[in-house]
Amino acid sequence: MDNFKNINKISSYQVILLVIIYRVIIAFTYLPIMNTPPGNQDIWITLLLSIPYTIILGLPMLYLSNKFNDLTIIEYTEKILGKVIGKIIGLYYTGFLLMFCIVIVATLVEILNTTMFIETPTWATTIIMLLTCIYISYKGLEPIARGAEIFVPFILGVILLFMVLGYNNYDFTVLLPVLRDSTFKELNIGALDRSIKFSDIIILAMITPNLKRKKDLNKIYIKSIIYSVIIVLLLAITTQAALGIEYAKHTIFPFFTFNRLIDLFDFIQRIDVLSVVAWITGNVGKIAGYLYFTTVAFSQTINRQKNQPYIIPIAIIILIATVLIKDRRSLLGIGEVLQGTILVTSTITIFVIPLFTLIVYFFRRKSLK
Amino acid sequence: MIKKVLLLNIIIMVALVLIGCWNARELNALGIALIMGLDFENDKVLLTAEVIEPVPAREKSSMGKGTTVTYVQGIGDNLFDAFRDITLKFDRKLYIAHNKVIIFGEEFAKKSSINDIDLLVRDHEQRETAYLLIAKDSKAYEVMGIAAGLEEIPGNYVLELVENFKYNPKAINIKLAEYLKYFYDMGRQPVLGIIEKKEKKQINKIEKPSSNKEYQLSIVGAAAFNKEELVGYLNGVETKGFNFIMGRVKTGIVTFPTPNTSVDGSSTPTPSVESDISLKRPTKIHMSTMDIVKLKTKKDVEIIDNNIILKVKVKLRCSLEEVAGDIDISKEENIKEVEKACSEEIKRGVGNTLLKAQKEFKSDIFGFGSVFHRKYPKEWEKIKGNWNDIFAEADFQIEVKTDVIRTGLINTPISRVKGK
Repeated sequence: MDNFKNINKISSYQVILLVIIYRVIIAFTYLPIMNTPPGNQDIWITLLLSIPYTIILGLPMLYLSNKFNDLTIIEYTEKILGKVIGKIIGLYYTGFLLMFCIVIVATLVEILNTTMFIETPTWATTIIMLLTCIYISYKGLEPIARGAEIFVPFILGVILLFMVLGYNNYDFTVLLPVLRDSTFKELNIGALDRSIKFSDIIILAMITPNLKRKKDLNKIYIKSIIYSVIIVLLLAITTQAALGIEYAKHTIFPFFTFNRLIDLFDFIQRIDVLSVVAWITGNVGKIAGYLYFTTVAFSQTINRQKNQPYIIPIAIIILIATVLIKDRRSLLGIGEVLQGTILVTSTITIFVIPLFTLIVYFFRRKSLK
Repeated sequence: MIKKVLLLNIIIMVALVLIGCWNARELNALGIALIMGLDFENDKVLLTAEVIEPVPAREKSSMGKGTTVTYVQGIGDNLFDAFRDITLKFDRKLYIAHNKVIIFGEEFAKKSSINDIDLLVRDHEQRETAYLLIAKDSKAYEVMGIAAGLEEIPGNYVLELVENFKYNPKAINIKLAEYLKYFYDMGRQPVLGIIEKKEKKQINKIEKPSSNKEYQLSIVGAAAFNKEELVGYLNGVETKGFNFIMGRVKTGIVTFPTPNTSVDGSSTPTPSVESDISLKRPTKIHMSTMDIVKLKTKKDVEIIDNNIILKVKVKLRCSLEEVAGDIDISKEENIKEVEKACSEEIKRGVGNTLLKAQKEFKSDIFGFGSVFHRKYPKEWEKIKGNWNDIFAEADFQIEVKTDVIRTGLINTPISRVKGK
């Protein structure tokens, strides 16, 4: 395949779908907002408050992506910061995307091994997942984006279906009183935490050169943030209303646990398998996308035109890392280390490095022209 | 060539996994449990499970009632240990995904119910929709194995009884997820359903010449908790009161004393049917019955002069199902009297239940604490630690409004002559 920028042109709608699902699938899986400060009935306010924070945190990256809309974040960072620092940061971004790939694969394997394949070894489940993702990644960005047009509405439809079918489990009084049990500080810490961990927004900085209408970048950014927050908010509210505040915090897969409660008219029951199907679909889509972007980041860092030769080697790295991690510890059960790592690396990725690059750009902008 | 060999190897490898043999659990290797009982025995957890025997229908018809299930027991330091103990005595591994009822023996419930059921929530196999019941005054295994209804499988008999809650609010049906939801709530203590073994009157004994006593199960009543501690039981009428306060009544009946307002001046007595039936009427209190069509309850808490007042407002629409006594319900003022009498009866029941929870259990099983939290969040922070004590001393106000929306096919009790 030739240069991916020339071939893979995708629409704004497809990008919005991709960013939304990359974020929503995390909430669909383990709803981290449940245990984010203030961790009570006010978390929906935290989510709403995270919108401006997310926009502000992503501004340096957005500004640079608008300025260099023919380049990915890897390329313009190297252009602005120079070859040596640019390559180091390029490798860091590759590592960051790779880390996310590993985390997503490990999470999906954990879901499958907890809910369905109890005795299947980690390596077997991981290989099955990765083979599918390797195939999708090989096909390039355009098939990934086109695929999103099919699987994202399906996943969102499944989420909506569960929300409707679970109506007799809701007790919305658990969401009261509003803003009485949380402090302003807690709400802001929670909102900031959520904003920083919305690292999927980096995909936007990788995808900009492939956009059909590059001037839509700001619109895509805002829309994908707002839409994804609204969906996560609905997931959080319905789960809390069905399970109660504390029980929802106890469960590793809160929305899935809520799905297991659905029992209507003596025949609509045990439909949580649909939830697992949507999970697998969404996670495979996300792994395939992240695998693709990891290889693109790597190939651009080492100045190569094609990303395909690196897909299998990187998939092997993901396989080994997943097996090593998953056979030692539950990733979601003991989530403190994972959340801490994501917080630090995401802060550096979506805010610190772009801000530093932006400052350097302002100093060097004349020479860059 | 290398690519093709590699691809072929991958396909073979994937095929091995995808044919579905890896995690296969065949039906003939499963012990499908329908109901489980948990007890303590010598400080160890005793698990009793009713396992279905997959017998072909032809053979089943020649077998007696109750032979379609078998009972297995395991004992261990905790529940999982007890589960695995069963594998040493029983030829199949228990499969609890279809288990719909979990019974706690009274001792188990009193000692520690929540600590020993972690497995039921942690493991994916047990559904959170299983009903929880307390075996009143007995061990869990003592109430298992009884099928006094038409259901052949005892587990299904218990399940049907619990699901009959919709017809009679003298019982309660709480699922595992609901129990956990309220266990964590500081403003509301959990309540669970109960199950009791009762001797059955033997009718038609000639056909069944068994000298053994026959038993049936009863789920009338409820068990009240203060967090994980079992603090007492509500009887059937009190449970009905509880369900009224919680607004959990879907349908059900209210039986109340018929108001004694002998007025029927609008009709002319029919001479040919004049009799002395009304004169022979005994002086006992007659009871009439309403069938609840719709019920709405609102709980509220108010602080008046530093006193906490618990308020319950019940609004119900009913259908008059049975009238015994001296009243003509075709008259508006009589219907109002009937409504008033029904409201008074409900008020009395609700009041008794509230009093019992306050004075005997000292446990807010109604969730007034949560209402207080919503209404007075600042004050709640100060008192949430000893809410149950405050609840026990609080005054309460009950308001009941009954609307009779149907009166059936006749307007005067059959014992009365119209117009007399």
